[in-house]
Amino acid sequence: MNLFLQLLLNGFINGCVYALVALGFALICNTTRIFHFAHAGVYTFSAYVFYTFYTQQNLPLAIAIPLTLGIAAVLGIAIDCVLYKPLEKKNASTLLAMLSSLGLYIIIVNIICMFYGNNSKILVAGLLSTVKFGGLMLNVVQIAIFATFIIVFAVFSLTLYYTGLGIKLRAMRDNPTLLALNGVNANLLRLFVFGIGSSLCALAAILTGLDVGIDPNIGMSVTITAAVAMIAGGMGVFEGAALGALMIGVLQSLAVWQLSVRWQDMVTFIVLILFLLLRPQGLLGRKGRLEERGNV
Amino acid sequence: MNYFFHIIIMINIYIILSLSLNLIVGMGGMLSICHAAFYGIGAYIGTLLMVNLGWTFLPALLVAIIGTAILSLIISIPSLRLKGDYFILGSMGFQSIVFILLYNWTDLTRGPYGISGIPSPSFLDLKISGLPLWFVFSTTVMFICSMFIIFLMKSPFGRTLKSIREDELAAAALGKNIPLFKIKTFALAAGFAAVAGMLFAGYMRYIDPTSFTMMESVFILSMIIIGGAGNIRGPVIGAIVLVVLPELLRFLGMPDAIAANMRQIIYGLAMIILIRCRPQGLLGDYKFT
Amino acid sequence: MLLLELISVTKIFGGIRAVDNLSVTFEKGQVTAIIGPNGAGKTTAFNIIGGMLQPDTGKVLYNNQSLSGLNMWNIAALGIGRLFQDVRLFKKMTVLENLMTAFQNQRGETVWRSMFIPFAENKVEKERKENSMQLLEKVGLQDEAETPAEKLSFGQQKLAAIARILATDVKLLLLDEPMAGVNPAMFKQLLNIVQKLTDEGRTVIFVEHNLDVVRNLAQRIVFMETGKITAVGTPQEVLNNPQVRAAYIGRGK
Repeated sequence: MNLFLQLLLNGFINGCVYALVALGFALICNTTRIFHFAHAGVYTFSAYVFYTFYTQQNLPLAIAIPLTLGIAAVLGIAIDCVLYKPLEKKNASTLLAMLSSLGLYIIIVNIICMFYGNNSKILVAGLLSTVKFGGLMLNVVQIAIFATFIIVFAVFSLTLYYTGLGIKLRAMRDNPTLLALNGVNANLLRLFVFGIGSSLCALAAILTGLDVGIDPNIGMSVTITAAVAMIAGGMGVFEGAALGALMIGVLQSLAVWQLSVRWQDMVTFIVLILFLLLRPQGLLGRKGRLEERGNV
Repeated sequence: MNYFFHIIIMINIYIILSLSLNLIVGMGGMLSICHAAFYGIGAYIGTLLMVNLGWTFLPALLVAIIGTAILSLIISIPSLRLKGDYFILGSMGFQSIVFILLYNWTDLTRGPYGISGIPSPSFLDLKISGLPLWFVFSTTVMFICSMFIIFLMKSPFGRTLKSIREDELAAAALGKNIPLFKIKTFALAAGFAAVAGMLFAGYMRYIDPTSFTMMESVFILSMIIIGGAGNIRGPVIGAIVLVVLPELLRFLGMPDAIAANMRQIIYGLAMIILIRCRPQGLLGDYKFT
Repeated sequence: MLLLELISVTKIFGGIRAVDNLSVTFEKGQVTAIIGPNGAGKTTAFNIIGGMLQPDTGKVLYNNQSLSGLNMWNIAALGIGRLFQDVRLFKKMTVLENLMTAFQNQRGETVWRSMFIPFAENKVEKERKENSMQLLEKVGLQDEAETPAEKLSFGQQKLAAIARILATDVKLLLLDEPMAGVNPAMFKQLLNIVQKLTDEGRTVIFVEHNLDVVRNLAQRIVFMETGKITAVGTPQEVLNNPQVRAAYIGRGK
């Protein structure tokens, strides 16, 4: 029983990490309708930037973390300006943006490999201190992950539904042209979206790095999980991505409990296929949006 | 000279892969990132038949083609309902599931250890082994496959497929059975990918799941993006360019470890530049708008 | 002889009855115009007949055969053809290819014949090409046979679409606003062609806003408002019906 609960708890915490990435991904994807695969590149890049600052240069957390978040935000914005905006000017479809995104991911990951090698790296030497409660155990990073997620999710939801900024973001999701016509500075909003989305991604990368270490390939699997979480939670519903992510995290643990660690990744894709076929609007989405969302 | 043979053999394999993916992507207008899954399934079916059951090359090839074509139904039927971005995701899901199965179902596939000792194909006392023979054999197979694909593309089947790509609704209103065409296209492409898989298995005499990853699918897709979609020259040029380019790096004296990364960087860059400046690829017919 | 029958057909979109308990019949060889203000449900009715939409209640009978549950391509194979308001030619294909795609029952579309006996189709393809050129001559587009469809003007595209639908051996022709968006220069040419279509004994149903065209072509008019039919009859009868005049033409004196 304890093993089950422990696995469940770990799964939930993993879900929190996915949720951070998913929220950032959903923010970008819902407002710009681009499948920002390069998000995976931002994730990997941030992880290694943090590694350089914290582990190699021994900068304190209080400096390393904000620096990394800032750099990630700049990278995200740069990707939009260099890659996506020119394509949009040519009225290219989001399909082309997605493919460019994939190309950029390949470039980023390989640059990292060239400078840091292909092996995984540990950020924190030795074991992390743990907290025990009621037969269950969490290490400090996991607790930090949980706390971060709660704070981020709260801020995110409050902003989305109770501030002017939130209204503009939701309007951008629904109809970006109309938004621009209404005098809102859509460009500024877009900078914000890419900046914050990328920072959230970096946050997740930092936390995971502290917990289990980093390697050049983590970005893609996390981002795909985030994309699946977004679909499962509901396209067009920002917080749905977090819900989907938590669900996937827990389901993955259940798979480990019942089957073995090997089949963990399969869970994500089975969830994807099931939702695409049976409930494409996701848990929280409304039916009919699929027609608006789909390309071609 | 041996080196030259090896390059041509790889080019042949990839021409079959890119021309067959072109049926789905360029002719059918469906962007699919799961071709490496078909490539791998074909390789594994044939290999398991040859290594575990002692089958010879031709029967194993036949079963591999048919088996992969049938298995393609797993992705083609459900994806009939998916549009655009969702279809791509679905294909990625299929690709990932296939890889995870190949990697973890160790009882069947020996997982990451791979399967070695794949026999060289032999026909009536002629064993295809050694580079010169493989050069001839692979080129022959490539020409045969290309011939069939060209027949398909230039026939009424190809024409109707293009019409579905152009306007599905209008094609349906003219009496074309859209789902049937799409399913057939996938099955055909999967069958050809299986041929490429068998060539690969017979040539390398060893296969493991790492040759059939999503990155490999993206690699094949990028041959179509860079070379061009919709016609014959595009995918062929794409295959040639993408196989030859990294080899050129070797001549520049780059250490092997870095070369692998540089090759990937270059092709990522090529993808981005071509999508931005020439979405129909170098020699293609069809622009992804 | 009754060709098409709609029986109590209803279609609801999110609470709005686009088509409301619609019952109407169409005789073989008859040319009927459906007119009515925007939002009356004309296009929805077309979509239901053509198989793009399934009715929520009611039946559509074609030659006494129910069309319920049939796919668009099955319905097209029965001889029901549709001209779309936005034309929908295969843009990157040439005009000739557009027509050649339209022929029904092409055995060359099967995988076996395409891959393994490709030369078997040569003779039939030649015939199709000749038939296509004849159709193109009928609409005056024979010089544009090798032009990609997207390079034609809108009016020319409409003519090409008409030629294409004729290639399908169509028996019931649904024309969705055939004269809409056509510039005055092309108008007469297009009108002549549409007139020829109706003269050749086909059953035609068309939606049109231009009442002069309607008066010229239609033997019978169906007037729809908010999903229902409020008037049916000869052009004389319907266009002089005060309710129709009020709704469509306006109450101004």
